[in-house]
Amino acid sequence: MIMNEVKEEFVKEMLKTGKRSDGRELLQYRKIKLEKGLLPNAEGSCLAQIGDSKVLAGVKFDIVEPYKDRPSEGVFQVNAEFLPLAHPEFFAGPPDERSIELARVVDRGIRSADCVNAKKLYLEEGKALGIYVDLYIMDHCGNLIDTAALAAMGALLNTKVPKYEEKALIRTEFTGKLPIVRSAVVSSFEKIDGKLVLDANDEEEVSSEGRLSLATCDGDLLCAAQKSGKASFSREEFSSLMDIALEKGKELRNLLNG
Amino acid sequence: MSEISVPGDLLFEDARRLDGAYVLGNQTIASVICVKSEDRVVPLKGKYLPIIDDYVVGIISEQRFSGYTIDLNSPYEGQLSTRESRESFKIGDVVSALIQEVDEVNEPMLIEPRKLSGGRLIEIDAVKVPRVIGRNSSMVSMIEKYAKTKLFVGKNGRIYIREGNVELAIAAILKIQKEAHTQGLTDRVEAFLEFEAGKA
Amino acid sequence: MEKQILIKNGIRNDGRGILDLRPIKITAGVLKKADGSAMIEWGKNKILAAVYGPREAFPKHAANPNRANVNCKYSMAPFSSLEEHGRSGPNRRAIEIGKVAKHVFENVILTNQFPKTQIDISIEILQSDGGTRIAGITAAAVALADAGIPMKDLVQGVSVGKVDGQLVVDVDKIEDNLGTSDIPVIVSLRTNEILLFQLDGMLEKKEIETAIDYSFEAAKAVRALQIEALKNKYVVEESG
Repeated sequence: MIMNEVKEEFVKEMLKTGKRSDGRELLQYRKIKLEKGLLPNAEGSCLAQIGDSKVLAGVKFDIVEPYKDRPSEGVFQVNAEFLPLAHPEFFAGPPDERSIELARVVDRGIRSADCVNAKKLYLEEGKALGIYVDLYIMDHCGNLIDTAALAAMGALLNTKVPKYEEKALIRTEFTGKLPIVRSAVVSSFEKIDGKLVLDANDEEEVSSEGRLSLATCDGDLLCAAQKSGKASFSREEFSSLMDIALEKGKELRNLLNG
Repeated sequence: MSEISVPGDLLFEDARRLDGAYVLGNQTIASVICVKSEDRVVPLKGKYLPIIDDYVVGIISEQRFSGYTIDLNSPYEGQLSTRESRESFKIGDVVSALIQEVDEVNEPMLIEPRKLSGGRLIEIDAVKVPRVIGRNSSMVSMIEKYAKTKLFVGKNGRIYIREGNVELAIAAILKIQKEAHTQGLTDRVEAFLEFEAGKA
Repeated sequence: MEKQILIKNGIRNDGRGILDLRPIKITAGVLKKADGSAMIEWGKNKILAAVYGPREAFPKHAANPNRANVNCKYSMAPFSSLEEHGRSGPNRRAIEIGKVAKHVFENVILTNQFPKTQIDISIEILQSDGGTRIAGITAAAVALADAGIPMKDLVQGVSVGKVDGQLVVDVDKIEDNLGTSDIPVIVSLRTNEILLFQLDGMLEKKEIETAIDYSFEAAKAVRALQIEALKNKYVVEESG
């Protein structure tokens, strides 16, 4: 994708004058759209769009055996698939390190913040509810992590718990909404030529030397972090980015609750 | 009156060899989404296929002992031999070039390479390029006049813009790309350029 | 289990007549990165199709000097069914469907115009309710047209089933599960030919011929919707 090298030059040139290639402020999100509950077969779903990036999250329940070290808790798992339709460089095959990283970072944010109370998923001896959040990456135009985190949280927020009767799930009947204790979101920053931008578009992401993703939740807390890519970050940068992530996190959570 | 045709639509009741259509029996059938107006068929979408004598804008993607491989935003890459290049290039350089020949598997040989620098490169659908150029280059001249820029328009959909109000030129080109299939486009683009240039 | 009556007085379990299609909505050009894309909602099915290409074939030794290679991937999202969470990765059914879908497009795409390239088609089932391969191929045809890839025709089709002893057009999941036969068909109305045909169950020849007639008839309605989707993409508000 040699056109990326040309775009990189342009991105860096613009940043020298403090501007971004698409006219945004350095710490401004692109337009965010959320559509919840669009998949009736899933117990919860959400399509999240940031700019042109699109991620679809679906939530499904299954009856599972609790983990041996947590015998009275349910199970929660996030998976991500980078679909070949999302980008000319994605191909079918086993998950690569990027999709695994994305799934695990989104998972960590939601799990650390205890958004889903796993104890409430316990059913009876040897049986618990397993919640599977599957992230379907449909259009990669930069910053998939923040988009996927919104999709996952949006899906969980509209998830209904199917009725459990005689050791089986009756999927057409529900006992109520999945209780969500708090919401977690992620804000990711890319470092390009030493400058930090929030919510990189695809040409910015290609030009980036490194990324810091910070998950935040209600209560002004940070619940997950991931530094990715070659570049290093200074302690001042960390401090300032945490402040920004906490502020932006509130805005993102407002959108989720809207 | 133009109308949009889709693959499989009947275009003409006789057999004609046209871009965007194929012959079935003694009829001409559309093969791509296109606009049919009277006798002309204009495809609305499609990748660039190299044609002899086309001027193109490419990006150097590989360098070998004998020459360069050039990315043309096409399924086919161009080859440029060092014998044809008076300058030497490096990977990532944007160049204009002429297609001298195309072999039987659509691979083009390029000559007259010239490095383009100091400006911006954008990509549009190759099928929209004729509208950006306009009859007798009227559209491209209009953009150059109002935005005070210099445009190099490659038939492969890549356009290099230098000097003047580059953002305005890009906005005008993207407008043409979006509305290429409509009537009265030239007038609307002129009105747009006049208005925006007046603001600056 | 009591036998469920699926057709009563010519009315099916969802209120349709035996020749009626489910409601279908198609949108072209829904993705930014893909060269062509389409979303189809066919009954409760929600399917996304996208196309990349023609692009350089790889690995290089797989390139065909005479034509483009066509690849087609069909896969069902883990959250697509009303039942349990599906496993990731293609299963044998998905691989077979990808293959027969690929053969449809190997036929209609004018592959000889693009030697040594490949065309990659993706069909993702986001929500399934019977007849997904037909709906997926119908969407993929729109995605290919959206990408400007030359084809002989815009193809489409329908699944004809045998339910309560009668042939019905466009089986949904309940009818597919409880019926005795399922016949997915993809046709080209331009050339009057069949491009995909599968069958299970036991049928007489004249039943199959009737099913084929039904398919060509239903295809006309589906094609009109594909055309509408493509044309809608080019509607422009001429606001200067």
